[in-house]
Amino acid sequence: MPQFELANFAPQMVWLCIAFAILFFGIVMPTLPKLGRVVQARADKVTGDIDSAAKAKADADRIEADYAAGIASAQESARATLDAARGSAAAALDAKLAQSKAALGARAEAADKALGAARAKAMGEIERVAADAATQIVEKLTGTRPDADTATGAARAALA
Amino acid sequence: MAGNNPMEQFAIRVLHPIPPVAGVDLSFTNSSLWMLIALAVVAVFLYAGTARPTLVPGRMQAAVETIYGFIVSMMDENVGPNGRRFVPLIFSIFIFVLALNILGLIPWVGAFTPTSHVAVTLALAFIIFGIVLIVGFWKHGLHFFTLFWPKGVNVALGIVILPIEVVSFLARPFTLAVRLFANMTAGHVLLKVFGTFVVALGSFEAIPVVFGVLPLAVNVALAALELLIALIQAYVFALLASIYLNDAINLH
Repeated sequence: MPQFELANFAPQMVWLCIAFAILFFGIVMPTLPKLGRVVQARADKVTGDIDSAAKAKADADRIEADYAAGIASAQESARATLDAARGSAAAALDAKLAQSKAALGARAEAADKALGAARAKAMGEIERVAADAATQIVEKLTGTRPDADTATGAARAALA
Repeated sequence: MAGNNPMEQFAIRVLHPIPPVAGVDLSFTNSSLWMLIALAVVAVFLYAGTARPTLVPGRMQAAVETIYGFIVSMMDENVGPNGRRFVPLIFSIFIFVLALNILGLIPWVGAFTPTSHVAVTLALAFIIFGIVLIVGFWKHGLHFFTLFWPKGVNVALGIVILPIEVVSFLARPFTLAVRLFANMTAGHVLLKVFGTFVVALGSFEAIPVVFGVLPLAVNVALAALELLIALIQAYVFALLASIYLNDAINLH
């Protein structure tokens, strides 16, 4: 086997060292670090982009939360205003109702009183007419004219 | 028929003799030539892929980045954050072994696979071993020797384990080298043997060609397998290098 002929060792080992030195110092070192920097720059850019995207998302989330809070507080104040308006309207209505009730009561009372007076007057009138009629009837039937007090008392008793 | 010996493909041929320096033969051989071809291929690949690196990569850059990312994640897994400095080294090892393995599989062009020679894999393993030793003693000084003393072991057990740990540590470059060399050699021998079967059975005179089809089909499947092994062995070599580096960087 040529692999185990010792004469072949020295030139191959020396040439391997030469070739590997050329490879490492002349080919890999001038090229590979350039690539490493680009790969690093790309990784940095990607992480930077992801970071800024995350920040933008956080901003958006915060704005959305602000917006929701604003809407909620606006709704709350609107509801409060509405409640206050409703309360004051109800109070005003109650006051107006009470006022008109009182006015109406007064008028009803006055009307009642007037009605009572009218009735009493009418009753007096009827008694007088009835007493008159009774006096004339008794005079016609008996020839004697009852005195006015008796006639009036009888008429009142009959009407009561 | 020439070339029937399956070992002939591993023969070293001196293409340009260079006189020995300090008693060491430096002749330019077919092995040296294919190392330089691998260098040229890797250089074209890397320089084209990183000529104008952009945030959104082009085809070549994406191809280089795939291998780069693969090595980076391997180092992150096996070594951790301190391993980033050694990514170019492990990348060089991986791509060099991969290029040597795959280029050696090209048929008809007289391809030679330097990684099928234990001298080459051993030199590469010794480079890794040397770097592990330098990094280990550089970072930890004499504490690096505690690598051989498992953490929290009791003394009686430790005395038994110590020589085992030392031997297994010293054996690393050899196992690393032999694994790659043996895989490559076996694969190429197998391809060659089935190749000679194609010729031998296909030239059966009564019914020509027919019997050559079966070993040919096997060779096609083997070629795919060898391509896979070329990749896997490059990966294993780089992976073990990163694990050995981890010992030197993080100790335990």
